[in-house]
Amino acid sequence: MGAARVKRLAALGAPLLAAILFPLVVDNPYLVSVAVTAYVTAIAVYGLDVLLGYTGQLSLAHAGFFGVGGYVVGILTSDYGFSFWTALPVALAVTSLLGHLIGLAALRTRHDYFAIFTLAVGVMIVIVIERWEGLTGGTDGLIGIPPPASIGPLSFTSLNAQYYLVLAFLVFTIYVVWALMHSLVGRTFLAVRNSEELARAVGIDTGRTHQLSFVISAALAALGGALYATFLGSIGPDVGDVPMTFNMLVYLMIGGVASLPGPLVGTLLIMGLMQALTAFQEYTMMILGPILVLVIIFFPHGIAGQGKVLFERLTGGRKGA
Amino acid sequence: MTLFLQQLVNGVALGSVYALVALGLTLVYGVLKVPNFAHGALYMLAAYVVYVMLEDVGAPYALAILASVLTIAVVGALMELVVFRHLHGKTPVHMMIAALGVLFFMEGTADVVWGPDFRPVPTPLDGVVTAFGINITEQRVLVILAAVASMVGLYLLLKRTLMGMSIEALAQDREGALLVGIDTRRVAVLTFAISGVLAAIAGSLIAPLVLVFPLMGAVVILKAFVIVILGGMGSVPGAIVGGYLLALAETMAGTYVAFAFSELIAFALLVMVLVFRPTGLFRKGV
Amino acid sequence: MLARKLVLVGGLSLLAAACGGGEGGGTDDGVEVVPIGYVGPLSGGAAYYGRNVLRGLEMAASEIAESGGFMINGRPHRFELVTADDRYLPYETATAARRILQQEQMSVILVPHAGGIRAVQEMNLNEPRFLLMAYSSEPSILEAENPLQIMLPPRFDGYQRPFVDVLMPRFGNRLGLLGTTTAYGRAWTEHVTAEWTSRGGTVGRDNGVDYNTTTDFTGAVSRALADDPDVLFIGGPSQPTALVIRAAREQGFQGGFLIMDQAKFMEMLQIVSMDALEGAVGVYPQEYYPTAGTPGWVARYYERFGEDAPPATSEVAINYQGLHLVAKAMEIAGTTTDPDAIRSSFGEAARTIDDDLRIFDMTGVTDGGHLARAVYAAHVLDGEFVAVPIPVLGPAPSQ
Repeated sequence: MGAARVKRLAALGAPLLAAILFPLVVDNPYLVSVAVTAYVTAIAVYGLDVLLGYTGQLSLAHAGFFGVGGYVVGILTSDYGFSFWTALPVALAVTSLLGHLIGLAALRTRHDYFAIFTLAVGVMIVIVIERWEGLTGGTDGLIGIPPPASIGPLSFTSLNAQYYLVLAFLVFTIYVVWALMHSLVGRTFLAVRNSEELARAVGIDTGRTHQLSFVISAALAALGGALYATFLGSIGPDVGDVPMTFNMLVYLMIGGVASLPGPLVGTLLIMGLMQALTAFQEYTMMILGPILVLVIIFFPHGIAGQGKVLFERLTGGRKGA
Repeated sequence: MTLFLQQLVNGVALGSVYALVALGLTLVYGVLKVPNFAHGALYMLAAYVVYVMLEDVGAPYALAILASVLTIAVVGALMELVVFRHLHGKTPVHMMIAALGVLFFMEGTADVVWGPDFRPVPTPLDGVVTAFGINITEQRVLVILAAVASMVGLYLLLKRTLMGMSIEALAQDREGALLVGIDTRRVAVLTFAISGVLAAIAGSLIAPLVLVFPLMGAVVILKAFVIVILGGMGSVPGAIVGGYLLALAETMAGTYVAFAFSELIAFALLVMVLVFRPTGLFRKGV
Repeated sequence: MLARKLVLVGGLSLLAAACGGGEGGGTDDGVEVVPIGYVGPLSGGAAYYGRNVLRGLEMAASEIAESGGFMINGRPHRFELVTADDRYLPYETATAARRILQQEQMSVILVPHAGGIRAVQEMNLNEPRFLLMAYSSEPSILEAENPLQIMLPPRFDGYQRPFVDVLMPRFGNRLGLLGTTTAYGRAWTEHVTAEWTSRGGTVGRDNGVDYNTTTDFTGAVSRALADDPDVLFIGGPSQPTALVIRAAREQGFQGGFLIMDQAKFMEMLQIVSMDALEGAVGVYPQEYYPTAGTPGWVARYYERFGEDAPPATSEVAINYQGLHLVAKAMEIAGTTTDPDAIRSSFGEAARTIDDDLRIFDMTGVTDGGHLARAVYAAHVLDGEFVAVPIPVLGPAPSQ
């Protein structure tokens, strides 16, 4: 077990330990609920990273899938009495299918056109949610979504229990993304991102690759959305709307695209920043705007990405994972 | 039949506004590859400048429009100088984040300075023109005339002046343009300034027809992106045709189906077009 | 490692945010400070409305502070408003309410929109219990039979019959529908349609549009006018409603307007003239409301906020009245922390509040929590506002 391996384990273990201890150390339920919101959002941002960071396409419908995931779980649990544990896989399946169908149409376009195409799709998803009142509650949204049913002795009605549940899903998501990117599928994504023509020349079916990446990203968004709706106990159509997508994009780019800690770091940082800025009420946007501009100019790889670059330069070490 | 003609006229007036905004956006997006989400804020600020000139300064309308156009041209130029210049060569996503930052800043400033209130803007042109049983307000006539004049002006600028041709050159090949000695930095600033002028004309003329508030650019910018992609990035005829097409589709669908669905139209139209023509209706070209 | 440091930074910034939270309550110069919660739209499209409502609360709170406070057991008390922005999103309302309740103990929270009110109705009966002051005219709020709520505005389902009584004889039998397509707007559309048809009139196609996202009403108005209506049902927020009126007059419409209670005449008059409003029926402009307390209140409002302040509409007035009633109810009940006791004393507060602080002629509170009072609407006849009395629906006040 080399020094590098120990360092890497420490790098993983320390934040995990901090996260586990957080609700016990910080005796403020409000902060814990902010952390939960950040974690579920980060799960969706990991999905965005799979598509953008690793496969090179920007989907602006991302929050739309987040919303669909949340609504499916919300409708099934509050109107039809499903348990969260059965509603969740249904939500993932429905959203993946939706993503697949949309991908078939959308992935005939690339880059900017794809981005705006998905933007249009995202807007349409929100409009449908708002209009289909019988199903979704329209602009008022759904309220009264129950917490997940207990599994044996484990009950999820308390805030802390929900925190740990969400944390578990977050760790699972990070693991899935890590494993994905170290698999052949992941390397195919990277190949397509780096050069679509070259990938095709080597015999990769780029259409199917894009399609798979899109569906995975939609499923992760849905997971985040399902947890979000269940945790909040309610959901509204704005959760799937364009500003939410832009928020996630900001978290991802500021955190560092195509880096493993990036989505989580970005989400925690920016959400934390926005909480800190609420003290300034009306000036929030005026302050946040220039901060975003400065960060993106000076940290084009994002904070975590820049950190990685710095770390490698300082240690002169070979690149790890 | 009267209703159809009336809605046709309404659609043309609406399309003039869409086309003006989309033109400004397509210049910056097509020529400089900047997906400028803050473009809608330029339109919004132009409306506020007109409001301030009319309400606080008491200037005549023509002067207010002029002041607005000049101010927003400068703001547009500043966007390039202060922000986007430093992101040249970065991915569009980086530029999107920067544009969002600029957008937040501009909307936030408007909210702090003027508050979220909806402000009406008075205009000296409050008459109505009636012909063949159709009516249209004088202000809307002005919007249509100004849009046409701007489009002609832009065409002449791009095709007949050296400045315009440098812009086209930059759009076609940035390195090539550099090689033949074009000062790409200056052209970039100019392009942003022109896009500001177009947004300002739209904002100044539409202001008396709607209500001015800090988020007024938000819906317009989404539609502008749809139009730019529909028409093809960087295509001037594309932005114009796209703008009118969209406005007419919205108005007619609203009339003969239901207005509640007209918001859906823009996006459904885009989806349909892109499925069959993934690069937009027109080929790229300024 | 950088990642770990960054997680800690994130955590620390969250902590810092927590420290920013106030430690309200307590005493200040011997006057007990009582926190009152307000969760409503303070940013985004509905911010103008949310700030209007807040201004009414602020005016009442300031008056109480300036007068030395209201007395309970010989000790003076004043209010401190604790606000949270829910951006008009009902699920945010619940979250924001929970947040301010965690920051400090409070027994009264005011929410100014039906969606948010419904979200909060799910939580105000669990610990910590609090009195929900509901500023919304939707009768469905009363159907929830929440024992800890007070609904302040008149119910909107009382307006349709008297409005039709005025407009149908004056203008004719054909009604065009051009209201906003929010849930609130559509509920109104249903009520108006039912009333109009029950009186033998005809109702055209529903040409409603979303007033929050539409900027150019010309097309929708053209379509509505194509059916040649005598009266147009319109309404949404005041300013877009004024644009609809303007577009209709520009296109030659000479008929009447049946206006939803969301729109306010004084705000519409900032955009259109009284001439354009001829034949309109809507909520009576607060500045001329036919009660004894109105002129004094209006004068105090403009003195406090300046002549250029947004108009003194009923949104400001009703919430102003509501907060003064809360003070009176607390006085009567002898407590600032027991929401049930405060709620039980509300009817008496409505009857016995000082004339100086009384804008409306209130008779008490119904079992469901509705504040009972005389209600007037206005009909614009020959350039003047003529009062239209509105009969009160629902049970009589029992408390």
